[in-house]
Amino acid sequence: MIYIQLFLSFLKIGFTSFGGLSMVPLILDEMTSHGWMSSQDLTNLVAIAEMTPGPLGINCATFTGIQTAGFAGSIAAVLGVLTPAFTLTMLIAAFFEKFKESSVMRTVMTFVKPICIAIILKVIITLSKENYFTEKGIDPFGIAIAALMFYLLLKRKWTVPKVILCSAALGALFYGVLPFMGIRL
Amino acid sequence: MEQIKRGLRLFAEFFKIGCFTFGGGWAIVAQMEQEYVNKQKLITKDELLEMVAVGRSAPGIMITNISLLFGYHVAGPFGGICTVLGISCPAMIILSIVAVFYNQLKDNYWFAAVLRGIRCAVVPIIATACLSLGKQALQTRFAIGVFAVAVMLALFTGISNIMLVLTGVAAALVYHFSRRKTQEET
Repeated sequence: MIYIQLFLSFLKIGFTSFGGLSMVPLILDEMTSHGWMSSQDLTNLVAIAEMTPGPLGINCATFTGIQTAGFAGSIAAVLGVLTPAFTLTMLIAAFFEKFKESSVMRTVMTFVKPICIAIILKVIITLSKENYFTEKGIDPFGIAIAALMFYLLLKRKWTVPKVILCSAALGALFYGVLPFMGIRL
Repeated sequence: MEQIKRGLRLFAEFFKIGCFTFGGGWAIVAQMEQEYVNKQKLITKDELLEMVAVGRSAPGIMITNISLLFGYHVAGPFGGICTVLGISCPAMIILSIVAVFYNQLKDNYWFAAVLRGIRCAVVPIIATACLSLGKQALQTRFAIGVFAVAVMLALFTGISNIMLVLTGVAAALVYHFSRRKTQEET
């Protein structure tokens, strides 16, 4: 059953992710191992999820669910990714006063955070291979857009939606207008 | 009855917050502070900060964890379910609509060009977030050591990401409880 598979996949993702983008490598693993989505689709999804309101995890689960099994699929995926909240966090809420004082979670975080950074690094490498190279070799336009966006994010402190809009315009120019007019590098 | 009413009101309020917050978790926390600390005075700022700290360190989506802790605090387990569903519903509705358009437009020449441009920005976006996370998480030698081992394992072995995170959790638990034991013995 595809719905159960989706639910279980996102359950796994939910329980092993700790905040925001650390979910991306886990989703990539699950999607490609099941053959549900290509890494290109996933990259598009990350951009879409960053541009729409709401938590990244919910956005990703909804989109993936719909793509693989329609609306019911999206509900299965979202329920999966929400299960940690409804079980573990519910338990924590019930014992909140006690839990606050406990140092177990703090120790877990000192181990898990560096690991999250490591797997995000790995996903950066995977996605770079995917996005800045074509069959013909390096894509100079892609590298140029990436370098510019890096600069805007780090030095000019642009917000993510602004960066995405800007790169969309550049994409239309480099990959739309120029080839359309017959101009090629 | 009182709790159910309160829960439904929380659902509506979190639905509204979920509709208008771009830019992920922190924007939502800021909205919660405005609404519940400053305006309705349901919780204090310190309580909200405690919820954020705990919600961040529990697995899953940070913002749904924080929403659950808040809803539970105000209106019990039902309140927690209401806040989580409230914050999730707008995202589900919007992404469902986007997914339908995405499938129809994916092969359009101009849309594909736009998407290709956007894909080029995704690595800088992830890398920037990774950098600020790194600055904050890699401050001790111990953390850098864990990071180095994790990078080696991630890049040069076939270990899956999930296994790597679970190994980290297991190592942390062993470390925590063995240290506490030695502290008790001395």
